[in-house]
Amino acid sequence: MKDMIKITLPLVAIFVVAGIIMSVTYQHTYPVRFQAEKKEKEEALKEMAPDATDPINPAGTWTANNKPYEYYLATSGGKPMAYIASTAGKGYSSYIQMLVSLDTDLKIKDVKILDMNETPGLGDQVLEQSFLDQFKGKSLSQIVLIKGETKENIQAVSGATYSSRGVTNGVKDAVQTLVDKYGAGVKTAAQEVTK
Amino acid sequence: MSNNTSLGTLFKNGIFGENPVFRLALSLCPAVAVTSGVKNGFLMGIAVLFVMTMTNVTVSLLRNFINPKVRIPSYVFITATWVTVIDQVMSAYQRDVYKQMGLYIMLIVAFAIILSRAEMFASKNKLLPSFVDGVGMGLGFTLALMLLGVFREFLGKGSLWGAHILPVKPLLIMIMPTGGFFAMGLMMGWLNWIDRRFFGGAGASSGGH
Repeated sequence: MKDMIKITLPLVAIFVVAGIIMSVTYQHTYPVRFQAEKKEKEEALKEMAPDATDPINPAGTWTANNKPYEYYLATSGGKPMAYIASTAGKGYSSYIQMLVSLDTDLKIKDVKILDMNETPGLGDQVLEQSFLDQFKGKSLSQIVLIKGETKENIQAVSGATYSSRGVTNGVKDAVQTLVDKYGAGVKTAAQEVTK
Repeated sequence: MSNNTSLGTLFKNGIFGENPVFRLALSLCPAVAVTSGVKNGFLMGIAVLFVMTMTNVTVSLLRNFINPKVRIPSYVFITATWVTVIDQVMSAYQRDVYKQMGLYIMLIVAFAIILSRAEMFASKNKLLPSFVDGVGMGLGFTLALMLLGVFREFLGKGSLWGAHILPVKPLLIMIMPTGGFFAMGLMMGWLNWIDRRFFGGAGASSGGH
């Protein structure tokens, strides 16, 4: 009995002290981390539509891979500048989290990968700007992944086909959603111009 | 004076004589998993260096307080505490570094090398030698991971630290998990050969012949 206490007490003491250290650290770092994450998200959105001057707020949510994602309307003085959606596509070993922004004429403005966990050295090659730049200026019907040389569509990175497909599918879903949500508005805007 | 030389020997011991990866053959799992590039190896090594030094120091300070019958849970919990603290502080104040290293830090809790140094060294030695042992072993681990990283990244991708050197990828398999085992075996054999040929060593202590 005495032995039991002698063994248990120091262990409990270590656990308690360690627990206190961890909770104090958490308490002090949580607000800083929360602010930093919020700022990062705002900056990422801002980068997607650099010409929009108004603060970018969520306009609604949509569903991809059974998870909710937000989409945003970026405006300057109330005038639409860009449509942005956060999205994800299933790669080889993870869901690739992305932001996609569209011009007001529904062509892709920018694609940015926020988070992913693809094979280092193979799948993570989709992070390279030369791959992502292919999306710029493309419209919904052009977002098709091709193995081999292409200018019209999206060329898969050799050795990273699954990850390339993940990015392409995620982008395509997001563009489809944005076109569905805002496409009608664009048509009327175009008609106004022709008048 | 003699104390100084012994600290120096201790430091070198962690890097060469008892290198965690090539000599003690501990924590081979992360050594295979993250060394597909030099940069990954370096970041993982630095994270281990921090946690190992902190754990060694804490275990050494508490060595008379920890009951030997429950030492393993105590050591693991001390490691877990330091890992958590480093993870939290870094994610709040060093966002850029955290984005690169965050993935690795949490994994360190389960590393054999940390527990092994706490058990084999820090629990029997004073503060300063334990600190030196932690730094030496951490550097040894970092260097081993970087060596593997150089080997694998150069052969697998034709690049070093992400910078392309060769226009082609000579041996793509080297950056796959399979290549990790090849690289580890070749590197260990090569170092043993050098050791035996030029320094008259007996080869890896735990690797056998």
